[in-house]
Amino acid sequence: MKLKSDVNDNDLLRLMLAGDEDALSALYRRRQGSVYRFALQMSGSRSIAEDVTQEVFLFLMREGHVFDDSKGTVGAFLLGVARVHVRRRLRAEHRLAPLGDDSDDDDLFMQSATDVCPLEDLTRAETIESVRKAVLSLPPKYREVVVLCELQDVSYGETAEILGCAIGTVRSRLHRGRALLLAKLRPAEEVEETGAATVKSARCFA
Amino acid sequence: MNCQRFETVVSELARGQMMAAEQRTEALAHSDACDDCAARLGDEQMLTLGLQSLASEMESLEAPREIEGKLLEAFRAREVVVPITKRQSNTRYWFAAIAAMLLIAISVVVFRWSNRPADEPRQAKQEQPQPKLEVTNKSNEQLVQTVEKPSADYLLPQRWKPKRIRPVSLRRPNNAAVANHVTKEIATDFIPLSYMSPASLQEGGQIIRVQVPRSALANFGLLVNMDRYNEKVKADVLYGVDGMARAIRFVQ
Repeated sequence: MKLKSDVNDNDLLRLMLAGDEDALSALYRRRQGSVYRFALQMSGSRSIAEDVTQEVFLFLMREGHVFDDSKGTVGAFLLGVARVHVRRRLRAEHRLAPLGDDSDDDDLFMQSATDVCPLEDLTRAETIESVRKAVLSLPPKYREVVVLCELQDVSYGETAEILGCAIGTVRSRLHRGRALLLAKLRPAEEVEETGAATVKSARCFA
Repeated sequence: MNCQRFETVVSELARGQMMAAEQRTEALAHSDACDDCAARLGDEQMLTLGLQSLASEMESLEAPREIEGKLLEAFRAREVVVPITKRQSNTRYWFAAIAAMLLIAISVVVFRWSNRPADEPRQAKQEQPQPKLEVTNKSNEQLVQTVEKPSADYLLPQRWKPKRIRPVSLRRPNNAAVANHVTKEIATDFIPLSYMSPASLQEGGQIIRVQVPRSALANFGLLVNMDRYNEKVKADVLYGVDGMARAIRFVQ
């Protein structure tokens, strides 16, 4: 197993597809964290994140030969697969969600964050929680860009590969996503008091 | 830099992304001068800090260990599937291509073999002497034709012809006799009628077979055998699309 730590992702994938169990284990340990965190940050649900992580690596075992190293890295490929599974799960969850308050312990979906002012006077933990909720409340196409570029520290280029869009689209979605985050994190009373500022922001962010 | 341009770079500035030094300096200078943009930059920086805190908070999160165990079990339980390499797939394509080429070659050989008996008699027929056609072009466009009678086996069955045709005279020299090998008839060229221009023959039309007195040959400058003066001769009259007779040819 120690030898496998020196092998790059592409070779590990090749070995895994050839039946090397150690290669699967090494590749999983190297990449499961980013896949799991991405799914968690996108869904806000640990159970969904666990399921998605498992499904991503099962997909890799079955369909790993479709990976083309000329199109990107194994890490980006895994995040792209994870994105598809997360979206599928979120759609299913959305269809099956009861109408009442169903807030689960591990379900971080998704409350309005406008009743707090984390940017100014709340503690760090509260700020993090508010930011997390604000991220989860973003529309998916902005959320995935914010998660990848801001939380996963993925480059614009790799994000574009994962999402299958142009780098310019990534930039514009990130800009728009950050503007939406700021609007959600801004305190409600400030928004009410400064109606003109709201109009200006809306014009800027549009 | 104005507020509008500042808005386009404020995210990059707050995130500490790489940007042109001159642009960065201008943006910072603008934020120093403009209170709104300074507040905007402050918000963006606070948001960046919040996102970085969230990222660092979640950095240590990992999937539960039992997932790895489940995956390894699934890996052991799966059927060993040897990935199809490109070389194998190429070989398969080559085999298919060679098989297709062989099939085509065999088909061509069989087709030629089956057609050979039919071709040989035709070639033999073509080697038979053609009917001799002698055309003497005399002055005043007089025509004398001597034709050997063709053998009966040379004749081919007459086929249906479309009525709309192109006059033969346009493709052949004037005053040349035309040997119609299909119907063993011999005909003169189409002779334009006096009131029609030769160019009008290109419009095509309809041919109607008629019989005219042999004396009519003289009207077109052809020799008339006085011994058969009372007999009739066949002629093809070419009618235009407007119903007017355009040309005539005499048939023997």
